[in-house]
Amino acid sequence: MNDLSINKDQVRSHETAVIEQQGQYLTFLVADEALGIAINDVKEIIEITSITHVPMTPDYIRGVINLRGNVVPVVDLSARLGHQVSELSKRSCIVLVEVSCNDEKQSLGMLVDQVKEILDIPEDHIQPAPTFGTNIRVEFIQAMGRVEDEFIILLEISRVLSVSELAELSLMTAAEPAAVLA
Amino acid sequence: MNDLDAALITFTQEAQELLDEMESSLLVLEDTPDDAEVINCVFRAMHTIKGSSGLFGFNHIVSFTHQAETVLDQVRDGSRQIDAQLISVLLDCRDHTARLLAYSLEYPEQPLEEELQRNGELLSECLTSAQSSAVKGQEKSDNIELESAPEGKSRADLSGNWLITLLFKKDAFRMGVDPLSFIRYLKTLGEIRALLLFDKAVPQGDEFDPESCYLHYKIAFSSEADKQQIEDVFEFAADDCEIKILAPSAKSVEYLALLEDLPEDETARLGEMLVKVGVLTVNDVARALHTQEHSQEESKPIGEILVEQNVIQSKIVEQAVKKQQQVKQKVSSESNYIRVDSTKLGHLINLVGELVISGAAMDLMIEKSGLDEAEEVSATMSSLVSNIRDTALELRMVPIGETFSRFRRVVRDVSKELGKNIDLEITGGETELDKTVVEKINDPLTHLIRNSLDHGIESPEQRLAAGKSEQGSIHLNAFHDSGHIVIQIVDDGAGLNKDKILEKAVAKGIVSEDANLSDQEIYNLIFAAGLSTKKQANDLSGRGVGMDVVRRNIEGLRGSVNIDSIEQQGTKITIQLPLTLAIIDGFMVGADGERYIIPLSMVEECVEMNEKEWQLDAVQNYVNLRGSAMPYLKLSEYFNPGKQFNKRARQSLVVVRVGKERAGFVVDELHGEQQTVIKPLGQIFENIEGLSGATVLGDGNVALILNVKSLINKVTVV
Repeated sequence: MNDLSINKDQVRSHETAVIEQQGQYLTFLVADEALGIAINDVKEIIEITSITHVPMTPDYIRGVINLRGNVVPVVDLSARLGHQVSELSKRSCIVLVEVSCNDEKQSLGMLVDQVKEILDIPEDHIQPAPTFGTNIRVEFIQAMGRVEDEFIILLEISRVLSVSELAELSLMTAAEPAAVLA
Repeated sequence: MNDLDAALITFTQEAQELLDEMESSLLVLEDTPDDAEVINCVFRAMHTIKGSSGLFGFNHIVSFTHQAETVLDQVRDGSRQIDAQLISVLLDCRDHTARLLAYSLEYPEQPLEEELQRNGELLSECLTSAQSSAVKGQEKSDNIELESAPEGKSRADLSGNWLITLLFKKDAFRMGVDPLSFIRYLKTLGEIRALLLFDKAVPQGDEFDPESCYLHYKIAFSSEADKQQIEDVFEFAADDCEIKILAPSAKSVEYLALLEDLPEDETARLGEMLVKVGVLTVNDVARALHTQEHSQEESKPIGEILVEQNVIQSKIVEQAVKKQQQVKQKVSSESNYIRVDSTKLGHLINLVGELVISGAAMDLMIEKSGLDEAEEVSATMSSLVSNIRDTALELRMVPIGETFSRFRRVVRDVSKELGKNIDLEITGGETELDKTVVEKINDPLTHLIRNSLDHGIESPEQRLAAGKSEQGSIHLNAFHDSGHIVIQIVDDGAGLNKDKILEKAVAKGIVSEDANLSDQEIYNLIFAAGLSTKKQANDLSGRGVGMDVVRRNIEGLRGSVNIDSIEQQGTKITIQLPLTLAIIDGFMVGADGERYIIPLSMVEECVEMNEKEWQLDAVQNYVNLRGSAMPYLKLSEYFNPGKQFNKRARQSLVVVRVGKERAGFVVDELHGEQQTVIKPLGQIFENIEGLSGATVLGDGNVALILNVKSLINKVTVV
């Protein structure tokens, strides 16, 4: 229990979210690494369809897809976390999540290499993110979940897929070609 | 939502419309203060709001609008003159009513805020103080009624009485009718104030027949009884006596009120209306109708006959006729318009969008499977679908005039405040565009107009000194141009000061000092954030935060804004907006394996790219198209910087035009026309220039819609 109280102090901002989620996480593979996100963040998992590339965007913006008549951006999670652009395979999937930005809900797809399973991780197995030692930006990590003897990184979706950040970054890359032309 | 809530929403909408109407009417009155129809309009607004507010128990509104209504009623019957001062007060009254309305909706059944209370009292004072100037004519109308009474009769004390005219026929005695007994019986209902006996009909000498009746009476009769009761007194004499009963003039006010309050679905016929309120009896109407049928001359309106027959005051008939027209108008306008919830319309348009996409998918499938017979059916279908699409979009089209005329008030108020004399001219108000666009263009327009009023137009002294007329003018214009609506705001003010703008922009670091800019580019700098040349900011404008917001709002609508100015002569702001935000006709092209949509309305022509024959300037990116130099942009290279492209065998040049600017896009493939349902790309991509949205194609893939305007800017700047 001592463990838990520390945990609560340090991840206060996610405290309520953790309780609501009842410890269920969807795990998937990205660049051979197992990652998880809270199951309540997941709207649906869809098969890979044809993705339309949007020009002048950074690598990690894979493009847009048609989801039942709506145009939804797809983020290449591997590239976003600082790895290579992921190769499409039979097992590639798009995990659809919803993030809010300026009071508006925006649906976003995350391209992952493979969806694994849904895990129940008890609260006392969840530990705060280490401040170093991972190859993923610290602010992207919500917490670490212990499953048997392994740790799975639980992602902070609102940061990884922050709409305003993605928009700003695409602004920077958009500015480049103009500079080249000029 | 219960019934009352629904009614409340209707009430709010209606009240808002009435207030808007009142505002525009009042502004019209400033120019033509004698227009009775317009005065009526203002009166009706206050009257209706008063009535419906009472229904919902908004007592503040009722008591306030009542005062305004009273004054307006005096204006209406001519006993009070309408002047600029009164119009100003009434405009304030209108604003106050709007505020009361908002307040009552938010805090129903609560006492008024102190400020509103005070404001209301102040206004009523203004209303009544202006009132004393002309109350004179008020009573005069009450006295006219008895003019039809015989000469020499004292009028003064008869106004509260019924006027009964009895013309007994010659045979009356023979039929056993005794006039005296009727008059005696009449006394049981009330008091006979005066009785006149006419002897003109009595023949002289031998012609006089003692068995005949020559008696004609006029009786002034005071009674609480209603008309039907009085007429019943003479029921047995009806065959042998002409009976006319004129209601007391004092009562006419009551009748007028009753008429006004008649439920509108019951007021089909003049006669019926008058019977209903009790001013006439069924017999009166029957007689008048009889006369109408048998009259030799051209048939007169029944109202006129009734007045001639002396059974009714002309004032009441007028009111009834007016009411009847109101009802007719209402009925006819009701039958022409249906009020539809705009979300329902939005849903319909979404569905039509889906229909367009699945129609395209079906076309594709039919083409694939090679069913010749089905092709014909699908051709019919797609022409129907595009008809439905156009009609559905048209449902949301509204004329921009309403938005424009709202600025009359802005111009009037602001110019008063600034002590300037400014005239607003509006043209092209009938130009239609999508309601969603209209709603969003209001704020930017307000800002631009306020800017013109504040900075553009000079004070009268400055104008005279500059050799212009004292009155400045602002011209609002709208027209359609190649699938767009163009809105222009033209003022004849001081124009923009290039040097000042440039100086400021350099000081703020928006442009570098050695930048070589065209006049147009300098003018457009005022849309940059943080730039205001006005030294002092006031509450209207001058803080330099507005113009960039204006531009962003307009660009958010996929539109553009441009400014042109001649110093000392004026400024012209041109806004270009798409007609609709939902569905457009697109032209699909392919570049580097991706498909892009160009709005068809902007496509001028497509030609094969012939690099050998054309003088191509690869450095400056200009092409010689039939003798004229035109900038061009290779889409695949532009969108994929750094990627190497092999020379392709065939490329095409799509010539696009926005306003006056032309450019060519070099593409790999031409796919042809495509109905395009515009889907937003989302906030992630909002910073990407050159794209304005996306659409879903028939095969389920997504194609991107090009923002032609910004791409053209790219090439022309380069």
